Amino acid sequence: MPKTAVTRVTHSCHLIEIGGRTFLTDPWFSTRPGYYQGEPIAVGISDLPRLDGVLISHDHYDHCDLAAFAAFRDRSVPLFVAETVVDPARRHGFHNVTALQPWEEAEVGGVTITATPAKHGVYEVTFVLRSGPEAVYFAGDTMLIPELGEIPQRLGHISLALLPTNGLHIRPANNMQVVMNAQEAAELTAILKPELAIPHHYAFTKGFLGDRLITSSDKNPLHYQDASRDLAPKPAFASSSPASEWSYDHDRQRGVPDREPAPWKPAGRHLRPEPPPDDRRPGRQARPGRRLPRTHRRTGPRCAPRTGLRHLHRV
Amino acid sequence: MSTTATRTVPVDGIGPVEVTITEYGSGQPFLLLHGGAGPASVAGFAELFAAARDVRVVVPTHPGFGGTPRPEALGSISGLAALYNTLLDRQDLADVTVIGNSIGGWITAEIALLQSPRVSGIVLIDAVGIEVPGHPVADFFALTMDQVFARSFHNPEKFRVDPATLPPAAQAVAASNRAAIAAYAGASMTDPSLAGRLATLEIPTLVLWGDSDQIVDADYGRAYAAAIPMARFQLLAATGHSPQLETPDLVLHAIWDSADTDFSTFSR
Repeated sequence: MPKTAVTRVTHSCHLIEIGGRTFLTDPWFSTRPGYYQGEPIAVGISDLPRLDGVLISHDHYDHCDLAAFAAFRDRSVPLFVAETVVDPARRHGFHNVTALQPWEEAEVGGVTITATPAKHGVYEVTFVLRSGPEAVYFAGDTMLIPELGEIPQRLGHISLALLPTNGLHIRPANNMQVVMNAQEAAELTAILKPELAIPHHYAFTKGFLGDRLITSSDKNPLHYQDASRDLAPKPAFASSSPASEWSYDHDRQRGVPDREPAPWKPAGRHLRPEPPPDDRRPGRQARPGRRLPRTHRRTGPRCAPRTGLRHLHRV
Repeated sequence: MSTTATRTVPVDGIGPVEVTITEYGSGQPFLLLHGGAGPASVAGFAELFAAARDVRVVVPTHPGFGGTPRPEALGSISGLAALYNTLLDRQDLADVTVIGNSIGGWITAEIALLQSPRVSGIVLIDAVGIEVPGHPVADFFALTMDQVFARSFHNPEKFRVDPATLPPAAQAVAASNRAAIAAYAGASMTDPSLAGRLATLEIPTLVLWGDSDQIVDADYGRAYAAAIPMARFQLLAATGHSPQLETPDLVLHAIWDSADTDFSTFSR
């Protein structure tokens, strides 16, 4: 059986391999004033493998960076998106765009893509990818809502869950919460009962002043793991530095890291704006000569190195 | 503890510009831009800030101020904005908060409009630059220095200097500062297009204003904040046009602890 594997690119952007196909979620490859990943972008656009599909949960810039992603070599790649993303995607030259309403499904090469509900500051959907007994749930940056509890009943067992954990609040909007927090992610984990759970959407920062005036958020993904200890003892948890890759070994019924940890050194690398395309400094993109992720080696020769898994704890 | 160096920065459309830069401390980066009162009007605050927090405060002297040379081609606020935008690139600074007082605030607004991802937030302190009907910027060039001091401070006696008593070198610097103000900001110290352009900004913005400012009054400050989407406005008590000189602790608190501020108590 082809393996199920996830490589986190940055923020909510992941490469997901399932059923021998490769999908990208919520592309974000640039920065703007007040919008920073707070962590490296592990794979540049030119280093992405061949993609069988792209999932986009909503049209916020940090999830739907079409202006940058339009540089992808193949704009005929199938996009499966929230309906609000259809027009922007077409404007950026993507012509194979399918809007999915919650519980609607599509199929790519034997992998079923089902949109699932969401609630955020704007219209959003989340996604389940299934191939046989394997299923990955990508939660975008939704709030925890009761409808998400229907996922196992309607779509079957989830083996791998990608959940946001920063509980983002918008200060000027009466401090409204717009993303699930660590406790809520743990509650959802207890409902989904995946073998492997990986947090995302936590390093994001609006910068020194923006984090004080506009947003507040929990930037520590370990809070999710702590909150899950009592609620959801089943899965393994991965603290998810970008470029880390996890695969789920169905036969052994547990999440396993693909590599030994090789700590990522953040010094001076996060928050840097992307250099212009003609001014790529060494180190910003793929460094040749490094061992490439197995996922990438299978799908294409040019890709970024992975710098390693930082933590993987059995809880 | 500070270091001062002169750098040559190549600016598109202007050419190489020599600029003197003083840096204080290390850590979270801030670009601090002085107004017409010159670099001395922000040096004390930069020192205080760097001593109180883990911050790197970068203080350029706008070319032409403090006796430094100004190239003929550099003669506008937007030119200064381009200069400092290039400087941030060359220094490879990220997550920079730009703070500007008076004309420095105007430069800060123009830097924000350049949309560099390196600039993550701006703080405008008693800034000039926009036109607000019924609330003109005081005519600096028509005022005596005595009048300027009276309008600039809540308590002018602490700051008043008789220009006639200054040594000749200091008088020459004061004259060149005056010429630099005229070259960059003009007599009106406003750009009628600025307020409209600010409506496009999405950058986190804090607007601080001395409640006793009589160069640009508090309603002018409220209009400035209103021109920038989601900008937060905060009035500083017993403070004039140069809060970083008159009430530096209030300014430091307003910036560093802005997450704790209940802005609903400050009316627009």
